[in-house]
Amino acid sequence: MTVLRPETQYATLAQQGEAAQLGMWAFLATEVLFFGGLIFTYFIYRAAYPADFANAARDTELWCGSVNAALLVTSSLSMVLAIEAAAMGRQRAVLFWLGITAVLGIAFLAIKGYEYAADYRHQLVPALNFLLKPGYRPPGELFWIFYFTATGLHAIHLTIGVALVLLMLVRARIGTIGPLYYAPLEVVGLYWSFVDIVWLFLFPALYLPGRG
Amino acid sequence: MLVYVIGWLVLLVLLGLEIGSAFLHLGALGPAVQFCIAATQAAIVFILFMRLRGRASLKWIFAGAGFFWLLLLYGLSATDYATRLGFPTQP
Repeated sequence: MTVLRPETQYATLAQQGEAAQLGMWAFLATEVLFFGGLIFTYFIYRAAYPADFANAARDTELWCGSVNAALLVTSSLSMVLAIEAAAMGRQRAVLFWLGITAVLGIAFLAIKGYEYAADYRHQLVPALNFLLKPGYRPPGELFWIFYFTATGLHAIHLTIGVALVLLMLVRARIGTIGPLYYAPLEVVGLYWSFVDIVWLFLFPALYLPGRG
Repeated sequence: MLVYVIGWLVLLVLLGLEIGSAFLHLGALGPAVQFCIAATQAAIVFILFMRLRGRASLKWIFAGAGFFWLLLLYGLSATDYATRLGFPTQP
């Protein structure tokens, strides 16, 4: 078992952990503005061209978005259970729940990849092969630009999240995360749940218009 | 631990309601209902899964700061779009 000591600038491990968490919250505040600005442009253009956005959104794969929303919500649960297990010093449970979290994240990315392939087949990718269907108007393409920008940025965030979860798996395995100090795991958990929240807002924006 | 499982079940039920509401003919009310459900889900994830529950107020301030600035961003940008002439342009 590795002996853990706080970095020189901190008095205790608890203080170091608190500082790390506040740092992640400060970063997440910038992420709120980043994705918030993106979603604001969506609201502006959806309000400007409601019928075109409804038509375009009907061509998204609803089951992909819905299953992915359920996967991410479930991964937020497994992530918090990993943190709880770390706090109680149950090392095997930490590894188990982190493994589940990583698998759920990878499953999300796999479904997303399948969906992108389907979008390409249906000629819905702006700048590559976008084809305006008969009866549709050009603002529909705006929807698809937003779709790929938003889901692409989200997928990059999730890929980073999966890498961080795998790193935490390694650290839990070699024992640098344990009941005395698990702040890195808590920080990754904050990031992971935030990426989940972004999807909770992208889902109704991208998959639900025009279904009624 | 039980509280997390209950929170997860509530999130899944809300997701089901959200998808179901998309197939009702709610008109302009539809997106309002769906984004209200999304905001409720987000609040549950923030408070429960991001463990803000029972935390020091400093953490709440950091968490709330992003939304405070987002409110300013939305408010000021919306006044621009609401008063802009010739928007939206017709395709």
